[in-house]
Amino acid sequence: MSNLIEYISAGVMLLGAFVVLVAMIGMVRLPDLFCRSHALGKGLTLGLLILLFGLWLDPATNISGLKIIAAIFFQFVTLPVASHLLARLAYEKNLPRHTLRRTPQ
Amino acid sequence: MTALLINLAVAILLAALLLGFYRLARGPTAADRILAFDAVVLCAVALTALLSRQWQTDVYVELILIVSSLGFFSTVAFVFFLQRAMPYGGEDAEEIEKGEGRGK
Repeated sequence: MSNLIEYISAGVMLLGAFVVLVAMIGMVRLPDLFCRSHALGKGLTLGLLILLFGLWLDPATNISGLKIIAAIFFQFVTLPVASHLLARLAYEKNLPRHTLRRTPQ
Repeated sequence: MTALLINLAVAILLAALLLGFYRLARGPTAADRILAFDAVVLCAVALTALLSRQWQTDVYVELILIVSSLGFFSTVAFVFFLQRAMPYGGEDAEEIEKGEGRGK
């Protein structure tokens, strides 16, 4: 039974790592700061939440369950705040923005 | 089997860390670099969680809390600094104005 929980925990952590990788690909590929802060505020938050949840499922770290829940809560609060602060800075300072390229007619 | 899954996750996170370093070196404005630095710190936090899983200890959970709060507070401090120091229109705006001799 605990063996099964270990497998599930490792699988969930692998899924979280994959979501983090997708968010970082978005960080490289997206065109301007607003889109990139979107990748940080949603993709990376989701990936870290899934990964820390996988750590919480692991039976070896059961003692520190409350601390892991505090870490999950902290990520969930601070990451969107950071991405929102950066997007607000970019809006106030009028940083260069991505515009759709129009085909010449 | 679980060790294989964890090693695969470590490899994926190292690839994500390299992508973050690419954006950190490349980013056109300072705000892009701050965003990329925050993302790199969070990838390091995820790697710490994987290490804690691999070595079956729970002493790294405090490290997760401390490192992620350090990344968050450095981001906030940089943003409050840049709100005063960054010129309107990004760093390139001043150079363009100087170059074309267009004073205020």
